[in-house]
Amino acid sequence: MQKQSTGYLFILPALMVLGMLIAYPVAYTGLLSVTDNAGNFVGLENFRRVLAARATPIAFWNTLWWVLGSIIFQVLFGVMAAILLNQNFKGRAIVRSVTLVPWVVPGIVAATTWAWMLHTEFGIINYMLTAPGLIDKPIGWLTNGNTVMPVMIAINIWKMFPFVAIMVLAGLQSIPNDLYEAARIDGASFWEEVWYVMLPQVRSVIVAITLLLVIWALNHITIIYAITRGGPANKTLITPIQIFRTAFDGMQFGQAAALSVMFFGVAIVIVFIYIRTLASNPEEAQ
Amino acid sequence: MSGKTSKLTRPGLPGWLILVGSVLLVLVCLFPFWWMVVSSVKTLRELYTVPPIWWPDTPTFQNYSNVLFQSNIPRYFLNSVIVSAGSTGLALILAIFASYGFARFKFKGKPLLQSLVLVAQLLPTAAIIVPLFITLRFLGLVNTYWGLILVYMIITLPLSVWMLTSYFKNIPVELEEAAIIDGASRLECLFRITLPLSLPGIASVMVYAFVTTWNEFIFALCFATDSSVKTLPIGLAEFSTEFNTDWGAVMAASVVMTLPIAILFLSMQRLFVGGLTAGATKG
Repeated sequence: MQKQSTGYLFILPALMVLGMLIAYPVAYTGLLSVTDNAGNFVGLENFRRVLAARATPIAFWNTLWWVLGSIIFQVLFGVMAAILLNQNFKGRAIVRSVTLVPWVVPGIVAATTWAWMLHTEFGIINYMLTAPGLIDKPIGWLTNGNTVMPVMIAINIWKMFPFVAIMVLAGLQSIPNDLYEAARIDGASFWEEVWYVMLPQVRSVIVAITLLLVIWALNHITIIYAITRGGPANKTLITPIQIFRTAFDGMQFGQAAALSVMFFGVAIVIVFIYIRTLASNPEEAQ
Repeated sequence: MSGKTSKLTRPGLPGWLILVGSVLLVLVCLFPFWWMVVSSVKTLRELYTVPPIWWPDTPTFQNYSNVLFQSNIPRYFLNSVIVSAGSTGLALILAIFASYGFARFKFKGKPLLQSLVLVAQLLPTAAIIVPLFITLRFLGLVNTYWGLILVYMIITLPLSVWMLTSYFKNIPVELEEAAIIDGASRLECLFRITLPLSLPGIASVMVYAFVTTWNEFIFALCFATDSSVKTLPIGLAEFSTEFNTDWGAVMAASVVMTLPIAILFLSMQRLFVGGLTAGATKG
């Protein structure tokens, strides 16, 4: 009904800013990845070097472990919390607000607070575990190579499961009542209702959130960076942090760009799967 | 939930399980903050004792006075406010027009452009941080407010466009059609009709964008290395990376940083959650 050109005029300023801030850097990354620090074309040399670096495969496996460990439990605990919050009980509104707190709080605050709680000598967590005799002596959670990654993943789960809970809760509350009524007429128990009514109805929500969580796990590196910077001994080095350290500690912009290009490639595939998933649920994607 | 009229009672979780679950949920979510507050009012000696003291006999505000009067934290707080407000405001202005364009016009390439906005929102920051740094350095914008405000629009702009578009779409187009027949221009429609009707949407976009930039860490770490522009997250990280961490001060600074967000969030919770589930990540 309207002239096409007017529509373009409205969106043009925003698109120009986005193009300048995003499209240009992305293209520039591509250029940097095939040049050295002086700007000479070096072909695939940066890629070769970065792939040969000892840290790269370590970072790859750590990233995989970090993403998988995080999302499985974020979704699991998030769905459990959502089912709980979907019940009618006194004080539900308060519990719901409280559940969101970890998600709203700045990542850096979560990082410092957990780092203090996990302090080897004076941390409350070691005290809670040693006092009843669950462990013999305090564990250096953040310095021990075997515990540091699981601890980072646990903090990330704590930080993000509230988001899953609130999104799944919104999905649960939009389930039409007649579905429950039908289940009730059939004499379904609560757990049957969860399994045969609730979960199938929020399945598409869970799929979309899971993909979003993968993207966010690759994006949000605050917790790891603030607590360990990838250490000790690269035990928590994930690819985004490797890019960061290659660029700003090692000043190897070309190699950092080569790594960025590969990282970007993987991320963009996930982003497109996410968008396709959204688009295939027309009533949700609009 | 209409359980009253129906004879068939809706099965639910047993009461004890709800109780245990709720208590556990509240404890897990709040304990770190409670511990943060307790630690922030302890003296050094009380912090470093085993077993830990659950509540100090005489709470001290020494840590707060250290943070507020003897550190750069107040300056960082101001920097954070300027940067977050600046990038939220600028993004909002651009987003109002762009969202209106997406919501009300049909034009070639619209689905593609809309997906590009979504891609921009989901883009991994690590992938573009190097060229951004080089570009900002070239433009002389490293360690300036403008540099950070611009960079933060990478986060706030796609988000605002995405959320606002779905708000505008929900406002009946008939209102505008009537106004156009009366001779109103497109801009008048936007500012007199659509915008006033979407104030709740605008408010939630603002809160969400502000909170996101307030919490942002990695960009600030790269682009603000001078104390005149450093934001709070960087200030907080500085406290704890020094060789001898003063945990009392770190916890006090954490409280100072969390407080505005907590107040903002609690006072606008309905909008915040409503807006999020409606627009940000649709699904």
